Amino acid sequence: MGRILIVDDTMFMRTLLKNILFSGGHDIVGEAGDGDEAIAKYQELRPDLVTMDVIMPKVNGIEALKAIKSADPSAKVIMCTAVGQEQMVKLAIKSGARGYIVKPFQAPKVLEEVKNVLSSA
Amino acid sequence: MTVLDEEMYRKLFVEESRENHENIVNNLLILESGEDATAIDEIFRSAHTLKGMSASMGFDELERLCHSMEDVFQLIRNGQSVVTPKLVDLLLGCTDAIEEMLDDIEAGRGLAAGRTEDLVKSLKEYAEGSPDVADAPIAAEVGADTPPTYSVTVALDPECGMKDLRAMLVLQNLEELGTIVSTTPPAERLEEGQFEGSFEVVVESDAGEEALRTAASGPEVTEVVVSLREPQTPAAPQKSPQMPEKSGKRRKIKNIRVDIQRLDQMMNLVEDLVINRGRLEQIAKKYGIKEFDEALSMIGRSVSDLQNLMMSIRMIPLEKIFNRLPRVVRDTAQHDGKEIEFVMEGGDTELDRSVMEGLSDPLLHIIRNAVNHGIEPPEVREARGKPRKGLLRLTARRDKDNVIIEIEDDGGGIDPERLRRSAVEKGILAPEEAKEASKDELINLLFQPGFSTAATITDISGRGVGLDVVRKTIESLKGTIKVESEVGKGTKFELVLPPTVAIIDVMMVHINRRRCAIPISNVVEVALARPDAIHRIGTGEGVLLRDQILPLHRLEDMFGKAPQSDTLVVLQNNGRKCCIVVDFVEGQQEVVVKPLSRLIGSCRGISGVTIPGDGDVVPVLDVNTLV
Repeated sequence: MGRILIVDDTMFMRTLLKNILFSGGHDIVGEAGDGDEAIAKYQELRPDLVTMDVIMPKVNGIEALKAIKSADPSAKVIMCTAVGQEQMVKLAIKSGARGYIVKPFQAPKVLEEVKNVLSSA
Repeated sequence: MTVLDEEMYRKLFVEESRENHENIVNNLLILESGEDATAIDEIFRSAHTLKGMSASMGFDELERLCHSMEDVFQLIRNGQSVVTPKLVDLLLGCTDAIEEMLDDIEAGRGLAAGRTEDLVKSLKEYAEGSPDVADAPIAAEVGADTPPTYSVTVALDPECGMKDLRAMLVLQNLEELGTIVSTTPPAERLEEGQFEGSFEVVVESDAGEEALRTAASGPEVTEVVVSLREPQTPAAPQKSPQMPEKSGKRRKIKNIRVDIQRLDQMMNLVEDLVINRGRLEQIAKKYGIKEFDEALSMIGRSVSDLQNLMMSIRMIPLEKIFNRLPRVVRDTAQHDGKEIEFVMEGGDTELDRSVMEGLSDPLLHIIRNAVNHGIEPPEVREARGKPRKGLLRLTARRDKDNVIIEIEDDGGGIDPERLRRSAVEKGILAPEEAKEASKDELINLLFQPGFSTAATITDISGRGVGLDVVRKTIESLKGTIKVESEVGKGTKFELVLPPTVAIIDVMMVHINRRRCAIPISNVVEVALARPDAIHRIGTGEGVLLRDQILPLHRLEDMFGKAPQSDTLVVLQNNGRKCCIVVDFVEGQQEVVVKPLSRLIGSCRGISGVTIPGDGDVVPVLDVNTLV
């Protein structure tokens, strides 16, 4: 089970995701409300996995992902996406995102994706 | 989700959704004014967030509406759609629907299916009327080199929601192990999701069959077949550029949300502390123990600090209520066919939450009044040599112990002559009184119940509720309201409010051997009056003080007939002064004012009671009703 950092600009989504991940036995080591915070928290906590929202104030998820990946190329980041955001997530995948989960979150799918990315090299 | 969970989620959901809703409305108005093109990004983000949260809560109606709005916002952002007032109307209509739905959700009511159907339809029609949005093409990635070549065929779950993304992930995972030579269908089409259930990737890799199979497997992948192939013609690999590393600033959680009721409870406890500190001080005075005094002064300091801190925690910026006003101005102006530039300043000025709550309605009323009755229609303005667009300014600032809010328009102003006629017609003033009334007195008539000068009552400004209610509300917040107006130039309302109501400085006085507290903000001075300076004027008394004749009150109906005294306290409210006679002045003190119990009801002349240190219950004089 992994140490996970949750990034989303709403406490609502973070809480939802936290409960899902927690139910899967994961350890939530931190939360961030925007890209800047995500980058800082990543450096500080070095989590096994980051769930990254795409659209956020200030620094968005794609930029945060790029910054995290350039600081730590082995970083595992999963994008949180919704119908209509495919283009952004494609950009994210090209920038090194390892997976994606789709809102509204379905617990089994989220946990499967997380498990898959955590177990990958 | 358990019931408890659901309740918690709903609270969070409503709270954050409201923030996003407000953000959309305000930025729509900015967008309409054409001042800031980046407003659309803010709108887009908020609409998107709202959509995502609604979907997660299963509020399909809300989600559908947000989704349709997002489509239109996307068109605006891409420059494929122009922002017209009609479009803004439609979008604001949608935000109203969102607000209604949030109200229903908060109240635990369900959302009826189909309630947003009309809006969604209008949005769709609008979106389809605009030129097609072609997705920006994304450059394809192809790679090559020398190692053994494999063919990897991947079948995806037919249920897979975003097969384009899944395909890209598979491609990416495979690329980490080698170089992708080609794909069938081509990478561009894979990335657009234009393929049936499966696709083939030709990859050159030293990793071996098993590693490739693992890399291609994952969620929503139902089958992976790997086979060795002969090498093919290579193409140049392409890497996406990377952002430079951002400085890793450390950030801690800076804010927490606290239920407002808990803050109120805390405030009550602090008030009790203040009262009991006073009591301890009295005891200390009686016994004069040095160590006790020292300890007490330490506690006193802590209590003061705690009290100040509590006050500041309860303060919220005026923005909270200012933010809804641009919308009100816009709607009212549009309804009345007026053109108005609305300027707000000082939204960061802070007020106590309880003052803020009371302020919202009066402010709304004055703003609507200014649009309805203050600012003239554009044609009239032009004829008068003014710019077509009227200017409405709302400013707030902190001034020593008060917060001053001004609402100023450059409209037609209030005509005192019309007030004079109207007052006589309505029987508020006798004809001879009206003749002698000064301009200020006439303007103050506006605050009389049932006095309105507007020829017609518009349906937005509402009828029945007048400036009298506004003044009453402001006074109940211990504030004052003043109007200045000049015909043809405009009108200015000035509200002076205490930033907080609960704890105030008072002057303790004795009237007929009873204690009474007067808010220090109402006290001008304490004076000694020679008996010959007091004159009978009509039924009352007046005193000549510093070349001014002030009405003199003995408050005998409240406190009974007092023995002779020559100590006067000069009071002022709203710029008007009067004097009261007191036995003597005890001193100045900080006290907690408690409102009178509902059982007693409102009691003219008394705004509340306070309990100073000795446990005595002392009335607080309501200076508003005296002057």
